[in-house]
Amino acid sequence: MAFNILVVDDSSVMRAIIIKTLRLSQLPLGEVYEASNGQDALKVLEDNWVDLALVDINMPVMDGEEMIKRLRQNPATADVPVIIVSTEGSETRIGGLVQKGAGFVHKPFTPESLRGIILKTLGGLNEQKAGDGTL
Amino acid sequence: MNKKLETELYKAATLAFEELGFLLPSLEVNEQQLNAQVEAAASVEFDGPFSGKLLVRICGGILPTITANMMGEEEVPSKNLQYDALTEITNVICGNMLPGIAGSTGIFHVSVPKMDESFNLLPPVVEMQLGLGQGRADLLLFVSKYSGLEG
Repeated sequence: MAFNILVVDDSSVMRAIIIKTLRLSQLPLGEVYEASNGQDALKVLEDNWVDLALVDINMPVMDGEEMIKRLRQNPATADVPVIIVSTEGSETRIGGLVQKGAGFVHKPFTPESLRGIILKTLGGLNEQKAGDGTL
Repeated sequence: MNKKLETELYKAATLAFEELGFLLPSLEVNEQQLNAQVEAAASVEFDGPFSGKLLVRICGGILPTITANMMGEEEVPSKNLQYDALTEITNVICGNMLPGIAGSTGIFHVSVPKMDESFNLLPPVVEMQLGLGQGRADLLLFVSKYSGLEG
């Protein structure tokens, strides 16, 4: 099984870093979609099956918090797992996002920390299987 | 300069340049680094328990190297990607600095970082130079409503 992942960040360099890190993490990747803001990300989700969304908070047009709110309101996308990838340092704000069912990884991150939070967020995955690509 | 602001800015900048740019910053700036010309600057504004702006200037032609390192590319990235990389580094420095200063419960609203050409600003509260390879990074922090500055 391979994961289709949506990477949402207004920085194309950060999207490249995240995708590079995903490839280093040895997780079985399927399609990797990109969006530069929450509005574009919701369009991608309308047209494609996505197993996981990695979402920045601070973006123009539509920020990550608003995107997650709308994603949860739509029955077709309400259950898509989300991980916030952000520089946010406020435990109060992070706690609010986690309460909405999102995971959180802090920028900058390592392949190990990203892989760990992905496995935790997707839940029920066998770490060893993910590591040897047999999922 | 305010010691706490200086310490947190240095920690955040070191983390960003090391983890994202794979460069080891140094507070000791040699003559070549000191004479390096400004190539680009980016800033980000924040508002919360205190407010202000962080400006990061990159000097000495090292932005292509930083960008290529961040992206894992060997070819020289386009100017747009270089500016994108600089705004993201500025964002990461700011995001990691603020909780170090204000604590982890304070909520800041941080603007989308942008390229900045306002080189003639009021004196910053903290101004720091970091040696980076053959070049240099200048970090300028402007704050208001910060209680640590009183007295």
